[in-house]
Amino acid sequence: MTRRTTLLHALSDFLLALFEVLAWWAVLAVLWLVLISVVDALELVLGAAVALVGAVAARAARRAVGAR
Amino acid sequence: MNGWTVTATVALAGGGAAAVWGVATGPLRRRVVAQNLSTTLACPALLLLAQGYRRPSYVDVALVLALLGPIGTLVFARLLAEDLHEDPPIGLTLTWVAVAFSAAVVAAVCAATGPGRAMVKLLVTGALMISGSLVASRALARGMPKGGDRHE
Repeated sequence: MTRRTTLLHALSDFLLALFEVLAWWAVLAVLWLVLISVVDALELVLGAAVALVGAVAARAARRAVGAR
Repeated sequence: MNGWTVTATVALAGGGAAAVWGVATGPLRRRVVAQNLSTTLACPALLLLAQGYRRPSYVDVALVLALLGPIGTLVFARLLAEDLHEDPPIGLTLTWVAVAFSAAVVAAVCAATGPGRAMVKLLVTGALMISGSLVASRALARGMPKGGDRHE
């Protein structure tokens, strides 16, 4: 029972983290799309990749500030 | 020469001169506000120049300044926190005037650009510019939050 609760907690933590990273990613990807001059395939791939890096960093920064 | 570049020149010459005067003379509380205002003024001037020369990519310069300018002011607010706490800036009328000028410039440039991604970029730049200026002037007037990580 305890183990199951721990597992559920871990799962919900993971889902929350995933949701937060996805939300950051969406915002940053849209920002990238707005700020580039020409929209083509390369820019889309690059923007999606860079936005993912930024999203992970944004979550880390948010947690670092929130933990203060 | 056109209306855009003339307005930018007036803003840069008049406002820039006033800002330099404010930074170079008077008490600290006036100097920090003038330093913050110089950024608040340079950003819309850059937007005007980008429109005046029809080079939308020059908007990037304003975007970068809109990000870095308030951060520079926050550094001053932090480093001078004790002096500013004893003698805080009073009356932020000029800040509001500069913010109103920024908003008017963004609106005018948006109207000239027309709907599209370029307009969204201008709006993002304007939002960063105005919110950054307000956050920075608020930090100057009311002090930095006192966290446990201050090394004094």
